[in-house]
Amino acid sequence: MRVVHYLNQFFGGRGGEEAAHLTPHIQEGAVGPGRLFEQVLGAGAQVVRSIVVGDNYAAEHVESLSALAVQEVQQCQADLFVAGPCFAAGRYGMAAGALCQAVKAALGIPVITGMAVENPGVEMYRQEVYIVDSGTQVQAMRDVLTTMARLASKLANHQAIGQPREEGYMPQGILRDGFVAPSAAERLVAMVYAKTTGQPFESEFTPPTFVPVPAPAPVLDLSKARVALVTDGGLVPKGNPDKISPYAATNWGAYDISGRDDLHGEDYEVSHRGYDTRYVEQDPDRLVPVDALRELEKAGVLGKLHECFVSTSGLANPLANSRRLGREIAEKLKAEGVEAVILTST
Amino acid sequence: MILAYHPVTEVRFSATTQLQGTILEVSEAALRQHLLEDRRLQRVDLAIVHPGEACRFGVVFDIVEPRAKEPGAGPDFPGIVDPIATVGQGLTHVLQGAAVTVLDAAAPIAGGQVVEMSGAAAQVCPYAALSHLVVVPHVVPGLERPRALHALRLASVQAAVYLGRTAVSHAPAHRAVFDSLGPVDANRPGLPRLAYIGQIHSRQRVAEVDEHILYGANTAGMAPVLLHPNEWLDGAVVTSYFNRAVETYFYQNHPIITELYRWHREGNITLVGTIATMAGSDNDDRARNAMLAAHQAKWSLAAEGIVLTKYGGGAPHADMALTAKLCEELGMRTAVQASDMSQDRRAESALLFNYAEVDAIVYVGGNDTRWTVPAVARVIAGTPEAAATLAAAQVLDAGRLCGVTNQQGASHLRSFVH
Repeated sequence: MRVVHYLNQFFGGRGGEEAAHLTPHIQEGAVGPGRLFEQVLGAGAQVVRSIVVGDNYAAEHVESLSALAVQEVQQCQADLFVAGPCFAAGRYGMAAGALCQAVKAALGIPVITGMAVENPGVEMYRQEVYIVDSGTQVQAMRDVLTTMARLASKLANHQAIGQPREEGYMPQGILRDGFVAPSAAERLVAMVYAKTTGQPFESEFTPPTFVPVPAPAPVLDLSKARVALVTDGGLVPKGNPDKISPYAATNWGAYDISGRDDLHGEDYEVSHRGYDTRYVEQDPDRLVPVDALRELEKAGVLGKLHECFVSTSGLANPLANSRRLGREIAEKLKAEGVEAVILTST
Repeated sequence: MILAYHPVTEVRFSATTQLQGTILEVSEAALRQHLLEDRRLQRVDLAIVHPGEACRFGVVFDIVEPRAKEPGAGPDFPGIVDPIATVGQGLTHVLQGAAVTVLDAAAPIAGGQVVEMSGAAAQVCPYAALSHLVVVPHVVPGLERPRALHALRLASVQAAVYLGRTAVSHAPAHRAVFDSLGPVDANRPGLPRLAYIGQIHSRQRVAEVDEHILYGANTAGMAPVLLHPNEWLDGAVVTSYFNRAVETYFYQNHPIITELYRWHREGNITLVGTIATMAGSDNDDRARNAMLAAHQAKWSLAAEGIVLTKYGGGAPHADMALTAKLCEELGMRTAVQASDMSQDRRAESALLFNYAEVDAIVYVGGNDTRWTVPAVARVIAGTPEAAATLAAAQVLDAGRLCGVTNQQGASHLRSFVH
């Protein structure tokens, strides 16, 4: 196995913080922890090239450094790209994650790194890159490299990768099914018993944490604002012209309501399988309240109701997809001068 | 309540309907005549399938275990077969190892639930281990869909009781006693008091006016209700027409209730009771049901720990989680069961609730489990077209195989976060 190894100035033996601006230094063979890695990888494995870069230089030149790493790996015809381990070193972790991701995307070969849970590189790159949990203690170097080597061999040999805990990597947030001996009922009762009696228990799923979305600045004068209606309740004109899926829709539609004071059931249908749609089909204003907003428009409470409403179907929609839909809809409405949106759901 | 188990190892057609040792003999003509008393049915096809057979059948309307109450012990399926009276006490005969499986001839085969009786898929399908009497009712032409579904429901429980009655005069092979005294049990000091809150319907789909769910009621306008654990096991609850990985069989053999009973019998907990609830159709409905269920668990059952499950699709997770959150706020500890909702297999999209207190989650998988099944010689389906589709070699997703992603606690499939 031919390996290219990325290290920062400290682990590459080029100095401490004073050398943080070190420009990329490329040398044949293994350096520092690379030698140990070679050892634990076993016979037939060889670190053919090492890239040593200062932490600050790396932080400031992520793109060119990524391109350089891809080029070096390609030139060496390496089978594996390794970065770090970085322990708690933040700049090192961010660079290691970025380079691993770039090499994986460009060349499709296995990549691996190691970091402590608190390293910012973990949150940034764990979904794309196998990051071995290194802990913060550099003294654990041999153990960390051993875990990295074991996982790297499996990746290189296309073996099935086990669960994060048994393999030692940070969960990537990807679900894989497996059959287990105890039924769900047995697991539920054991879990609630443990929780009720104050014993430790292990949930099968930890709810993800999300970055809070800051509230936008308020609309200063609604009576002058252009307001649009957006729904994820799946209201579409009869015939569903944009073929919006009733389940995890991948597109949205904008539908003209200019000149309409009221929506009528005979003109619309609902493409959504997750709620009782009869009441919306009877009177679409229940989901997309054009009637009420027209009244507010006439009363001068809001400036103008936008000429179209936007609709999609939110049912069990993956977040990645929802983010894209939201971005597209926001861009469209922003370009059309909309200043406020009322989002109605089901 | 005593369940008197009569093991069934073989079902076969015969001149008379009777239980001969562990062989259940069924008179085709007599059963057919019994079911055709419902004049909405024009024809009833019957078939027998055993474990290991290269056989596939669907679309499944429901699966019911053949059972009958000992005469005088109470009603069979009150509100559907018999007048409404309490179940969950006295003796019930169980034809263990047998199943009545009713197919819905009008349901589209695409996405429809099937049972696979052999091969790798059958290994993990609890229903593949049973001997099935498959009932395919054909309704009279032009019958409205709600009437047809009502007829299928009736056929399913009528057939189950008809077969169950063969056991009445026989001595059972073994018995099990289900003896929760409910919240007033004074003989078990110091044991954790556990309860179950299970959804039995989701108002994502409005139940038909005459749809049987709880003691024959369609649950419309109903608030959460206290049930003795035995009532679930003894015919008070059947699935609604649009179920998803819920079959009446696993109400009768409720995995969570029977597991709670096991802990109760072993002296580790006190099973104090259960609450049946519904997933709401709107926020008020959800908030009201969740609040009332939590109140009942606290003030009527004095529960300390609760297992919660949901019914239907995605949205009912929100009802279940809110109920759990309110229970936690009232000082009760909870564990909930979630279905696999991740279309893209990303953990960030996989859970439809996020409360800090609801942190004990059993996650039933399914979205990346499928089997390539071979062509089979024998299929049972409602139409020749459906039969042809089913017979072919194909890929079957876990969610299409009855029991594999079961929401009542029977599933052994889970997702792991990698």
